[in-house]
Amino acid sequence: MLDSAGGAARRRLAGDEGVWFFITADLMMFAVFFAVFMTARLDEVALFEQSRQRLNPAIGLLNTAILLSSSWLVALAVHAARAGRREAVSRLLGLGILVGSGFAVSKACEYTAKISAGVTLLTNHFFMYYFALTGLHFVHFLAGMAVLGVCWRKSRHEAIDGRFLVWLESAGCYWHMVDLLWIFLFPMLYLLRAA
Amino acid sequence: MTERLKYLRLCAWSGPAFLAIFIVFWGILGHNIPPLPADLPAQAIADHYRLNANEVRLGMGMSMSFAVLYMIWGLAIAKVMQYGVEKDNDVLSTIELWGAGLTVVPLLVSSSFWLAGAYRPEGLDDSVLQLFYDLPWLLIDVAYMVTSVQMFALGVAFLKDERAVPLVPKWLCWYGIWVGFMFVAEVLMPFFTSGPFARHGVLNFWIEFFIWFFWIVALSGYVLIAIGRLEAEARGIVVDARAPRLAPAGSVANA
Repeated sequence: MLDSAGGAARRRLAGDEGVWFFITADLMMFAVFFAVFMTARLDEVALFEQSRQRLNPAIGLLNTAILLSSSWLVALAVHAARAGRREAVSRLLGLGILVGSGFAVSKACEYTAKISAGVTLLTNHFFMYYFALTGLHFVHFLAGMAVLGVCWRKSRHEAIDGRFLVWLESAGCYWHMVDLLWIFLFPMLYLLRAA
Repeated sequence: MTERLKYLRLCAWSGPAFLAIFIVFWGILGHNIPPLPADLPAQAIADHYRLNANEVRLGMGMSMSFAVLYMIWGLAIAKVMQYGVEKDNDVLSTIELWGAGLTVVPLLVSSSFWLAGAYRPEGLDDSVLQLFYDLPWLLIDVAYMVTSVQMFALGVAFLKDERAVPLVPKWLCWYGIWVGFMFVAEVLMPFFTSGPFARHGVLNFWIEFFIWFFWIVALSGYVLIAIGRLEAEARGIVVDARAPRLAPAGSVANA
């Protein structure tokens, strides 16, 4: 992002710089998870393939669309905040939260269907990773929704100033990270076929 | 003015002291770094207690003796929070101190179970000794939230520091919040006896414990420096601690 000051332009990270440390650490942690998953997959390719086919890629795609749409709305809210348009910020954030909540509904339906069919994280190694990784991602999702909720409340009751913008940009960056993790999880769990 | 900062350095050093004692006695002598794999048969766990009883007795005795250092370290952090960044509201420092204090509970109680396993292992069944190894691991792992709230509270408080150079850097605040957040993976541990989520797994032991250890070391360093800075501020050496840092004389400010 470019930030003009005193006629000179300098580059700065969006949001609080410290939040990037959180995001980087989290991405590294998930990178380890992905590596562990892929290594485990090498030992049981047939089982992983057979188990993968029990997942519904259409739901995975729906989840991807929900998260990306929600992120887009939050990005629009950031632009609106930079322009000082309070009503638009509040509206877009509310929409982002509303659309994002669809992920919780979708995930709840997916988990319920799996558990009802007797598939749990103890079924086999594939489903251990499936439930553990998507569960950890879901905890990140819930934290993101909570932070967006705080931003939405602030947008209605507090000034749309530089301090608020840092809050909102930080929340937006985190929310994009939640997307990014899902963008890796979706193909890895739902689409990756045995060679 | 510096009277209220008295003893704080000693308290802050309790953190590294706790960690050193914990690693040596709980971890190495107690055979918990690394833990015995959760998928070992009961007989192997029982053999461990019977063969290493004295090491475990010493390790857990020392671990229980010095676990309280973690609370004392937490007190140093709470005081730096109160004097350094909190104004009229000490809720976060209170949560931090309670979190540190409550972290001592699973450390003490779980160590007492390992100690019980090593007390008279020759007279107990293998499955009982296995229980005395499993139970403390379940406790020390799944009681993670008492430590997480400590990390969240101090992270949020120090993020509010308005100094040009904060007492605790933002990256460390966020790192602590992240570690506290990632501890949630410990909830998975009771479901597994093998793999990355088991008590000896890549995630639930090697990553989770060592990111916590690193946090203790890094935070202790910054808290010790912060105490010195608060002393200087109290003596008036830094007139306006919240003023932006001035460029050194003669330097050319970058546009």
